[in-house]
Amino acid sequence: MANSIQALRNLPLDGRLAGGAGVSITPAEPMSRVSLRVKDKDVKAIGKALGVALPSKPKTSNMSGDRASAGRCALWIGPDEWLVLDGEGADIAGALAKTKAVISVVNISHRNTAILLEGQNAVDVLRAGCPQNLNDDVFPVGACSRTILGKAEVVIWRTDEQSYHVECWRSFSDYVFKFISQAAKGL
Amino acid sequence: MRKYSIFALAREAMRQHKGWEEQWGSPEPKSSYDVIIIGAGGHGLGTAYYLAKEHGIKNIAVLEKSWLGGGNTGRNTTVIRSNYLYDESAGLYNHALNMWDNLSQDINYNVMYSARGVMMLAHNVHDVQVLKRHVHANRLNGVQNEWLSPQEAKEFCPPLNISKSCRYPIMGAALQRKGGTARHDAVAWGYARAASDLGVDIIQNCEVTGIRRAADGSVTGVETGKGFIGAKKVGVVAAGNTSHIMQMADVRMPLESFPLQALVSEPLKPIFPCVVMSNSVHTYISQSDKGELVIGAGTDQYTSYAPNGSLHITNHNLEAICELFPAFSRVKMMRTWAGTVDVTPDRSPILAKTPVKGLYVNCGWGTGGFKATPGSAHVFAHTIANDAPHKINEFFTLERFKTGRLVDESAAAAVAH
Amino acid sequence: MLYIRCPYCEEYRPEIEFRHAGEAHIERPTNLAEISADDMEKFLFIRENKRGIIFERWRHIHGCGRFFNCVRDAVTDQIIMTYKSGEPKPSDAEIEKAILALKEEQA
Repeated sequence: MANSIQALRNLPLDGRLAGGAGVSITPAEPMSRVSLRVKDKDVKAIGKALGVALPSKPKTSNMSGDRASAGRCALWIGPDEWLVLDGEGADIAGALAKTKAVISVVNISHRNTAILLEGQNAVDVLRAGCPQNLNDDVFPVGACSRTILGKAEVVIWRTDEQSYHVECWRSFSDYVFKFISQAAKGL
Repeated sequence: MRKYSIFALAREAMRQHKGWEEQWGSPEPKSSYDVIIIGAGGHGLGTAYYLAKEHGIKNIAVLEKSWLGGGNTGRNTTVIRSNYLYDESAGLYNHALNMWDNLSQDINYNVMYSARGVMMLAHNVHDVQVLKRHVHANRLNGVQNEWLSPQEAKEFCPPLNISKSCRYPIMGAALQRKGGTARHDAVAWGYARAASDLGVDIIQNCEVTGIRRAADGSVTGVETGKGFIGAKKVGVVAAGNTSHIMQMADVRMPLESFPLQALVSEPLKPIFPCVVMSNSVHTYISQSDKGELVIGAGTDQYTSYAPNGSLHITNHNLEAICELFPAFSRVKMMRTWAGTVDVTPDRSPILAKTPVKGLYVNCGWGTGGFKATPGSAHVFAHTIANDAPHKINEFFTLERFKTGRLVDESAAAAVAH
Repeated sequence: MLYIRCPYCEEYRPEIEFRHAGEAHIERPTNLAEISADDMEKFLFIRENKRGIIFERWRHIHGCGRFFNCVRDAVTDQIIMTYKSGEPKPSDAEIEKAILALKEEQA
């Protein structure tokens, strides 16, 4: 009889911790993620199937629950593109399996990872590497945007007054975490 | 012109230097010339010089919309080398390299050519393979180039960091010993003085606004801010402004004009003995005789006629310098500027006749025109005088973009992209 | 750094979120295998490179990812307007209007 080997998944930023004056930096817990492309005419129906409406306004997000880690969130990335996150690790693609609409669903649960920044100086840390305007008037709670941080592409999502959820590709996460940590030292 | 020499210097020293002559005149344009060159940069002034000197043409004008040498000739980072890949390029750039040897004597003007060596660094296996291929290709074409181990590279250039633990370790380098630098302004001024002495009219503040043609389509002259000037032969050597000029004769070009930035540091004591270029880390550096570190990299990403560019390009450039030479991370940068470079799809120049009789074009040098100045001017003069290309520039046609016979030097153009 | 208004994100963003994507409104021939060398040259290589108001494409590569068109004065680098992919080239009158509106904004 053949022996079987259990594959263990390593988290890319396992055990890392960083911070600075007025900011804590921690890797997010794993979650399920999907990169979703949906045509205009199907947006409502897909939102219904997911249990969270797909935001149509640029730079906005919707949550099914009351926080990012519980339930499903949909982040506007482009005019027909959303990043859908599920803090409880539920099967997002599965929820869309029965749709008749022609959509693109890519499971990127492990292509991406995320870093959480908390604290009154969290936004300043991001400003060290992000050229976009992150001021309250244009980047309020709930705002999200794919952008650049240093040399890495990220998605920045403001989940609370002083809380930011930064998505990045797994292979860049070392760079992004170090960049953020370095920036925090400069506060 | 009074020859510059140690005797001239001594003589004038006795007379409180009151006898030095103007280096070139400021004539008003005649009504017509045998040849008009549009653009008084190094290539344009050089072309006029060789037309007069080697082809005996007496009646030449160089028209310049602003001040001579004020374009890319006055803004480049002075690097001279000929280590391009293809046979066609070897011919052209090496011709230029060989002419630098005697240029100062030839035009009686110190252009400060310094064959201090140009070193291209290899940071990964791909770099090693590409650069070795270049070395072999060059040597087969009689172009001097050699491969160095990291230790040999450091011996040649002590500031190099050849530790195996740095982020972009040096796995070796290709060195062209004959490459180096020269004083860019002196090249423009030297050719201007020498050409002026041979009777060439250099007319500054004279912008060309139109190209007049006869019924058969051939060139009859140019409209300018100073009126119409007749000529049966017109050579366009206008770098970033080439498309603008050529469309006056209904010739559409395969060119796009980009800002190219460069910068210098505060003067330092001599620390950097040669030119070092790194394609992968994306920067290049040398040290001027005034002591400034002269630093350059690639163009900005958008087309523009405003010679500015954006600061993030300079930032990126300096990150690369600090990566390669951490010792320079505290040096103050003194001045940044830009020029407007015309880039071709294959990053090789165009030195050619055009579909318009009497109209010749020398352009598309992109980020690498200065090194070729004497060679380019020399063969372009030949092309205009003989109404046919020199053997050396016969491949650099306008037609190659139709026939597909491109000379793709994107890699050899080094950091440009 | 240029400051460019992405018509999809509906706001101005800094240049480094974008990638320049060449001259705008160049139609890709649908019969590439049959066109003449002249036409192939026009499509692949010949560019207007105007010393004046130009029409170019940008891609919001580190943003929404979409291509869009832009009218810019290549001599001053002033961006006059941006418009979505597929929308027609603005007329001279529309461009004049946009330039005036920018002047008033700055005044």
